Amino acid sequence: MPKIDLTMDVNGRKVVKQTEPHKRLLDFLREDLNLTGTKEGCGAGECGTCSVFVDGKLVKSCLMPAAKADGAKIETIEGLARPGSLTPVQQAFHKTGASQCGYCIPGMVMAATSALRENPDAGIEEIKERLGGNICRCTGYTKIFEAVEIARDVIAGRLPETALDEDATGESFIGANVRRLDAPSKVSGRLKYAADMKMVDMLQMQVLRAPMPHARIVSIDTSEAEAMDGVACVITADDVPGTDGFGVFIHDQPIMARGKVRHFGEAVAAVAAEDLVTARRALAKIKVEYEELPGIYAPEDALKPGAPVIHDYAQDNVIKHIPIRKGDIDKGFAEADLILEDEFRTQQVEHAYLEPEAGIAYVDHDDVVTVLSPSQNITHHRHMLAHILDLPINKVRFIMSPVGGGFGGKEDMIYQGMLALAAMKTHRPVQLNFTREESLVASAKRHPSRVKYKMGLKWSGEITAIEFDMLSDGGAYGMSSEGVMRKAAILSCGPYEVHNLKVDTKVVYTNNTPSGAFRTFGGMQAQFATESMMDMAAEALDMDPFELRRINMMRIGSRTHTQQELTTASLDRVLDAAEAASRWEAGAPKVRGPRRGDLGGPDARKPCTLGARIGDAADTETKDERVAS
Amino acid sequence: MNRKMRGRGMASSWYGIARTATIDRAGAWAELDDGGTAKIVTGVTEIGEGILTVLAQVAAEELGVRPEDVTIGDNDTSRSPEAAHAGATRQTYMIGNSVALASRDARAKLFAEIADHWDVPVDSLRAFNGELWAQDTNLRMSMDEAVKTCKGRGVVPVGSASFTAHGTGLDPVDGSGSPWQAYVFGTQIAEVEVDTWTGEVQVLGIWAAHDVGRAINPRGVEGQIEGGVVQGLGQALMEDYQTEKGYTTTHGFAKYILPTSLDIPQINCTIVEDPDPLSPLQAKGIGEPALVPTAPAIMNAIYDAIGVRIKSLPATPEKILDALRNHVPGREQIAQSARQDRAEAHRRGL
Ligand code: FES
Ligand code: FES
Repeated sequence: MPKIDLTMDVNGRKVVKQTEPHKRLLDFLREDLNLTGTKEGCGAGECGTCSVFVDGKLVKSCLMPAAKADGAKIETIEGLARPGSLTPVQQAFHKTGASQCGYCIPGMVMAATSALRENPDAGIEEIKERLGGNICRCTGYTKIFEAVEIARDVIAGRLPETALDEDATGESFIGANVRRLDAPSKVSGRLKYAADMKMVDMLQMQVLRAPMPHARIVSIDTSEAEAMDGVACVITADDVPGTDGFGVFIHDQPIMARGKVRHFGEAVAAVAAEDLVTARRALAKIKVEYEELPGIYAPEDALKPGAPVIHDYAQDNVIKHIPIRKGDIDKGFAEADLILEDEFRTQQVEHAYLEPEAGIAYVDHDDVVTVLSPSQNITHHRHMLAHILDLPINKVRFIMSPVGGGFGGKEDMIYQGMLALAAMKTHRPVQLNFTREESLVASAKRHPSRVKYKMGLKWSGEITAIEFDMLSDGGAYGMSSEGVMRKAAILSCGPYEVHNLKVDTKVVYTNNTPSGAFRTFGGMQAQFATESMMDMAAEALDMDPFELRRINMMRIGSRTHTQQELTTASLDRVLDAAEAASRWEAGAPKVRGPRRGDLGGPDARKPCTLGARIGDAADTETKDERVAS
Repeated sequence: MNRKMRGRGMASSWYGIARTATIDRAGAWAELDDGGTAKIVTGVTEIGEGILTVLAQVAAEELGVRPEDVTIGDNDTSRSPEAAHAGATRQTYMIGNSVALASRDARAKLFAEIADHWDVPVDSLRAFNGELWAQDTNLRMSMDEAVKTCKGRGVVPVGSASFTAHGTGLDPVDGSGSPWQAYVFGTQIAEVEVDTWTGEVQVLGIWAAHDVGRAINPRGVEGQIEGGVVQGLGQALMEDYQTEKGYTTTHGFAKYILPTSLDIPQINCTIVEDPDPLSPLQAKGIGEPALVPTAPAIMNAIYDAIGVRIKSLPATPEKILDALRNHVPGREQIAQSARQDRAEAHRRGL
C-alpha cells in the first residue's frame, strides 16, 4: 500500500511523517506519534474520549482522516501544559476528584478547555452543553462541573489560585479530602491503559465472532489464513492444552467456541499477525461451517418442556435457583388486611465503561505466561487459566492494568485465554484491543429480570407476608449468574423485617448475550420491585412513604430474610437524614405532585430545553462557598 | 393536566459489604522505608473508585507518614499477596483493613526499636504526618530519622496482615445464613419533571443519604454516590441493551443511549456514619449501594407527577406516552379500593 506524507504542527513541534492512507487522525496520534492520552472509546464520534484541537477547534479525532489534518496545527492533552505542570483546568479536576477511572478524562479536559476558551465567562448551563459530547460513565459529572467552574473563576481572576490547592488536613488523614493520588496522571493523559502500551516485537490479535446465536460448528478451516504473509498464528478451541472452561461459579465457557456457538458474537477463532490490518484480513480467510440450531430468546421459553438444550450438563436450562423461606406465608397472608400483587421487569443493561476490553500477553524469561489486562479478578483468572493451559499456578501471572471503568463487567475472562494461547504459540507479545461494537456483543450485561410480587399488609402498615419470585435471563453462559441470584434473593424484600416470606430467584440459559456481574449484582433489580410495591402499599394505606418504611424497617436485633440477627442497623438514621435534607413534605403518595410545596428548591436544578443554554447570561457567581467547604 | 408535571418519590435500600455468603479475605504487606516513606503491597486495588488514595490515607495514618509518602505496589498475582477481586463493595472494607493491620504490624517493629532507643514504654509513642514522639516527654524525631535509627539497630520495619470477613453460606432449603458481617442502608429522593407531550422525564434533584460506616475520604464517597445515581438514572430512563432473536440491535453508543452532562440532576449527598464494630477502620462501603434506590425513587416520582406507574424499565418517552394514553385518572385509586374490599372480604372469611 502506498504511504502518504503528512506534515503537522503537533503540540508546538513540527512533525513530518509517512503513514498509511487509511489512518484516522486518532490512529496517527496514538500509533505513529505515541500520543496515547487521546483515547478511543467508541470510534464513532459518540463518546468524546478522542477529543483534540485541530487549528484551535475541538474535534473528535476518530472521525477525521489523518490526511485531512495535513498542514494543521494539532493540540492534544499532552500539549496543554509543560511536563510536570498542570493547567488550571487540570488542577481543578485534581482538586475536586473529577477523575475516577480516568478514561474519559483527557477528552473531558479538552472539552472543558475548549468551553472556557470559547467563552471564559460561560455559565454552568453553557458548560454542561459544551461538555455534552463527552461521556463519563464513572463520576456522574457533578465533580467535573464543579472543577470547570472553579477553573473558570481562577482563570478570570475571580478566585485566587489557592482555590486550586488541596484542602488542609486536620488531626487525621481519615476523614480528610486528600486529593486523588492518581489524578495528575489521568488529567494529563500520562496514565497508560492496556491499549496504550506497546512491547517490542508485539503482534496484534483479531477475533472471529459467531454470526448467529446458536449453531453447531461442523468444521473450521484455518489453513488459508495461516498461510498468509504476516500471520503468526491462528488459534481455535483445538489449541487449548488443558481443561477448557471458565466462569465465576460454573466453568461452562470455553475460551473460544468448542463444538457449538451459544450466542451471537461469541469468539470462534483468533488470529495474531504483524499488524491489525493483516489480522483483520486473515479473519476473512477462516472458513467455518455452521449448522444452525433452534434457539431460546426468552427466559420463560427456556423452562418449557421440549425447549432446546443449550448446555448438556443442564438439561432443564436452569443455571441456579435460590430459595429463601422464613415463617409461614399462608398464615401471614391470612393475617393481612390488604394484599397487593404485581409484576415488575428490568432490562438488559450494558456497563459501557469507556475503556473497551484490551490486553497483552507474553511468555517471560522464566516461562511464565503473563497476561496484562484491566481484569477485576486477577486472582481467580490465574487459577482458571492455569487449568486451561495445564500449567502450574506459578507459571501463570496476571497483571491488572489501569482499569478504565469496570462496574463488574471486567470480572469475566472473556479474552485473556486467547491472548495467552497465542503468546505461547508464537513466543511473542500479543495485543488485543476490542472495538466498542465487539465490547457490546461479547461482554456480559446486567441480568434482565421479571419479578412476580405479592405483599400482605395490615391497616397499621405492618407487612405480614411477602412472596417474591424472580426469573432472570442468564444468556448463553453462567458467568456470575449464581451469585447474582443469591444476592438478589438475600436482599429481595428490602431493608424491612418480614416475618413470613417465600423468595425464589431463578436464572436460566438462553441464546442471548450473557448476563454477568454488574454493580449491585441483582440487588438493584430486586429492590426496584420492592420499593415500587412499598409506595403502592403506602398509597393504598393512605400513609406517607417514609412512615410505612419506618414501621417495617430493620432495626438492631431484627432478623433478616436469611434469619441473621442484625447487631447494627442504620436505616432509621438514613431515613431521617434524607427526609430532612430534601425538605420532604409528608403525605401519602397519591399523585400529589401538582400540590406539593417542596418542589423547585435551591437544591434542585432548573429544567432545560436542549440548545437553549449557549448564550444564556453567564452565571458568574463565584464558588467561594464550595472552595471553603 | 399541565404540559409539564412535577413530582417527588423516595426509595430505600440495603446492601451487604464484601463477598456474599462466604468467608472473604485479603492480604497486604507494609514497610516503613528510607526517608520516612512507606511501601504498601497488595493484590488488587484501583478500578476508578479512588481506593489507591484511601489506602494511602490509611497507611499514612497508621504509619505516621503523609499520604503522598506512600508508594503502593499492587495488582500482580506473582508479586503481591492475594487480595481477591475488585468488586462486591469490598475494597475499602477488605483491602483497607488489611492495609491498616499490615501497617500496624510494621509500625510495631519500628516502635519497639525506638522505645528501646529512647528507653520509654512502647505505648507512649505516637506518630503522625512524618513525626514521631513520646508522649509527656520532649523526645521527638522525624520519621526519616526513626527509620534510620531502626535500621541502624539491624531491623527493617516490615509488616504483613490478612483481614477476614466472616460470611456464611446459605442453607440450600430455607436459605438461612449470615451472608455478611456488615450491612449498609440508604435512602434517595428524586424530583422529576415529566413533559406530558413528549413523554420526556427530567430528573431535577436527587437527595441521597447513605450509611458508609466511616467516610475515609468524604469527597471520594460523594463521587461514588454521584456516579451510582447517574448509572441508576440511566437504567431508569434510557439505557436498554436489546437483542432480536439473539442478534444484538444496539451495536454502539448511537443506539445504546447513556446519560450525558445534560441529564444530570443536582445531587445532594448526605453521608451517615454508623461505624462497623467488627473491623479496625470501622468503614463499610458505598460503591454498589449508591445505585440501588435511584431507579425506584424516580419511578415513584413519576407516579407522583402524572399518576402512571412504570413497572418495566426503562421509562422511555414512548412508554410514558403510552401509559398516559391508557391512563384513566383515578384508576389506580379505584383499583386500590377494589383490592381493599377483596382483602376485607377475605379477612372476614367470605
Ligand atoms: S468519539 Fe471518538 S472515540 Fe468516541
Ligand atoms: S472517569 Fe469518566 S469514564 Fe471513568
